[in-house]
Amino acid sequence: MAFTTARTRLVNPRLGTYFGIFTSAFVALTMLALLLELMGTGDGFVRSLMFFGPLLLYGGIGILVPARAIGDYFASGRRVPAFFNGAGLAVSAIGGAGLLALTGTFIITGVDAFALSIGWMTGLVFMAILFTPFLRKFGAYTLPTFFGRRFESRLVRFAAAAVLLVPLMLLILAEARFAAYAAGWLLGQSERWMAVLVIALVTGLLALGGMRAMNWSSVAKCIVCYIAIMVPVTVVAVMINKIPLPQMTHGNVLVPLTRAEAARGVPFVVAPAATVDLPSTASEPLVKRFVQPFGAIGGLGFVLLTFVVAGGIAASPGLLARAGTAPGVYDSRKSSGWAVLIVGLIMMTVPAVATYFRFMLLDQVVGRASSDVPAWFEMLQQAGIAKLEAKTQLILLSQIGFERDAGLFSLPIAAGMPQVLVYLAIVGALAAALAALASSMMAAAAICSEDLVIALIDEEAPDAARIGVARLAVCAIGFVAVWLALLARGDPLEFFMWGLNFLAATCFPLLLLSIWWKRTNAWGAVAGLGTGFVVTLLLMLLNEWSFIGMSSMIAAALSAPCAILAAVTTTLLTPVPGRTMLDVVHEIRVPGGETVYDRETRLARLKGRGQA
Amino acid sequence: MVERNERKPYWRHTKAQMLASLLPFVIAVIVLPLYAEPLNDKRVLGVPLGYFLVCHGLIIIAFVTVAMFVNRQDAIDHWHGAHEDL
Repeated sequence: MAFTTARTRLVNPRLGTYFGIFTSAFVALTMLALLLELMGTGDGFVRSLMFFGPLLLYGGIGILVPARAIGDYFASGRRVPAFFNGAGLAVSAIGGAGLLALTGTFIITGVDAFALSIGWMTGLVFMAILFTPFLRKFGAYTLPTFFGRRFESRLVRFAAAAVLLVPLMLLILAEARFAAYAAGWLLGQSERWMAVLVIALVTGLLALGGMRAMNWSSVAKCIVCYIAIMVPVTVVAVMINKIPLPQMTHGNVLVPLTRAEAARGVPFVVAPAATVDLPSTASEPLVKRFVQPFGAIGGLGFVLLTFVVAGGIAASPGLLARAGTAPGVYDSRKSSGWAVLIVGLIMMTVPAVATYFRFMLLDQVVGRASSDVPAWFEMLQQAGIAKLEAKTQLILLSQIGFERDAGLFSLPIAAGMPQVLVYLAIVGALAAALAALASSMMAAAAICSEDLVIALIDEEAPDAARIGVARLAVCAIGFVAVWLALLARGDPLEFFMWGLNFLAATCFPLLLLSIWWKRTNAWGAVAGLGTGFVVTLLLMLLNEWSFIGMSSMIAAALSAPCAILAAVTTTLLTPVPGRTMLDVVHEIRVPGGETVYDRETRLARLKGRGQA
Repeated sequence: MVERNERKPYWRHTKAQMLASLLPFVIAVIVLPLYAEPLNDKRVLGVPLGYFLVCHGLIIIAFVTVAMFVNRQDAIDHWHGAHEDL
C-alpha cells in the first residue's frame, strides 16, 4: 500500500492544502488590486501592492521553513514529492529568460524562436533520462562533490568547482537583470537599484533557509508564474476565438496573420545556414514573416542552437541540485516528467502571446497613417516599448521597432485590459526570474562552501560549521552578483546563452561520460573540462573580435565535441580506473539501496567518533 | 538490492531503454523543424500542420518520451530486482 511506506511518511500530507491557501491568497491579492484600480486608487499604490504582496508571501514561506539540519539546508530534507519538485524545477528552468526574452524573440523573429523553446524541452528530457536518476542515487549536494568522489580526485573536484562557477555567475547575472527589468517596470525605479533589491531579497531567503526555503518558495513562484502567463492570454483567446484555450486556438489566427503579412508586403527573409541572429535589448525592427522559418536563424543554426540550449539546461547545476531533494530515485524520475509537462504547457502558451500580439499589430497598426494609430500603440510608444520610424504615408511592419523583453506584458496593454492584468504578467515574469536566480545562487554558494572551503579546510567538519560556511558563501555570492549587476551593461539573454554554452561544453560531456562510460578516469575528466572551457572561451573571444563568423551563441556546438574527444582520448591513453571508483559507478547505476553520499557521510562520522 | 550476476543484464537493459527513449525523440527534434514549412499547406483543427507539429507535436512527444521512460525503467528495475526498497 503506497500510503504506508517509510518514504511517503516523510512527505507532509498537507502540502496541497498549504499551496491551495497560497493560491487563494494570491488570487485575492490580484482581485483586491483590480478593485482598487477600478475605485480610482493611485497607480503607485496598486503597483506597490502587486510588487510587495507576492514578495511578502514568498518571504513568509521562506521564514516558515527554516533549515537547521544540513540535509534540510542543502537537499530540502530529501522529502519533496515528485509534483512539487517538478513544479520548482520547471519554474527555475524557465526563469526570466523563458518568459521575457523568449516571448519577445517570438514576436520579433517568429517561428525561428522555436529553436530556443525546443532546446528547453529537449534539455529537460536529456536531464530526466541521462542524469537525474543517477545523481539522486549518489545524493551529493553539489556536482563537483559528485565528480570528486566518482573520479576519486580532489583535482577534478576543484577543477569542476572553478569551471562551473563561471557559467553559474553568468546565469545569476542574466536572471538578476531579468528580475530587475520586471521589478523596474512595476515600481518605476532604475534597473540597477532594482537589481540590488532582488539580489538582496534572494540572498536573505537563501541565507536563512537554504535549499528548503528556496524549494518551497519556488513552488509558490511556479503557481504565480502560471496564473500570470495564462490569465491575460486566455482573456485575449476568448476575445478573438471565443474559446479559452490559447495554446490550441492561437493556431487559427496564423492563417489570417499570414494573409495580412502577404497583403502588406512583409518580405521573405532567408538567412545563411549557420546564422544565429537573436534579437538584442535594443529596439528591434519586425522585418520577417511570423510563420516563415529560417529568416533570423538558418537551418543549421536552428539545429545547433537547439542542442546547445538542451545541453546547457540538462547540465545546469542549479537544476540538477533538485534531483537530490526528491525522496527517491523513482520520485526524481517522476518529478522530471512533471517538469516537462509544466514547461511544455508554458512553451505552448508563449507562442500564443506572440501570435496574438503580432495579429493585433498587423490588424490595427500596420497599413494605417501614423496619426491614426490606436491608443494602446501610443501607450507602448510613450513607454518606450514600441518605436515607429514612419518614412511612408502608411505604416509598414518593418518601420516598427520593438523592445524584446516587453513582449509578455505588451499583449494585455494591446488588448485594452485593466492595468492590474499588465502588472500580473510582470509579477509572473518576476517570479520566474527570482526562482531561477535563487536556483543558480544556491548552486554557486553550495559549490563555494562545500567544494572550495570545506573540502580544503576539514571535510569532516560538524554540520553546524558547514551550514554556517554555506550561509556566508550565499552572502559572498550575493555581493559578487550585486557588483556584477552594477558593472555589466550587456544583454541578459546573451549572458544567459553564454552560461548555457559553457555548461553544454564542460558539464554536459563530463556528466555523460562519468555515468554512461565507466572507463572514464580522472585524467580524462580534467582534459574534458579544460578543453570544453578553453575552446568555448576562445570561440567567444574570436567572435567578439570578429575573427570568425560563428555566433558565440552556438560556440558549444564545436567545443562540446572537442571536450568529449579530449576526455575519451586522454582516458584511453591513461590507466583504467581503480576498483573503488568502479564500485561507485556500479552503485549509482542501481536505484535500490541507500543514497551513496548519505551512507558515506554517516560512516565517516562513525569512524571519526570511534577514533575519538 | 540487485544480485551481482544481474548487474550486467540490468545495465544492458537500461542502456537499451535509454537509446529507445532518446533516439526517436532526437530524430524528431532535428527533422520536424527542418521539414515543417512544406506541411503548412495542410491544416489540423484550422492550424497549419507544420506549425502544429513543431509547436504542439514536439512538446507532446517530449512528455510521452519521459512518461514512457519512467514507466518502462521502473518495470526494468523491478524485473532485475534493482528497484528501491519501499
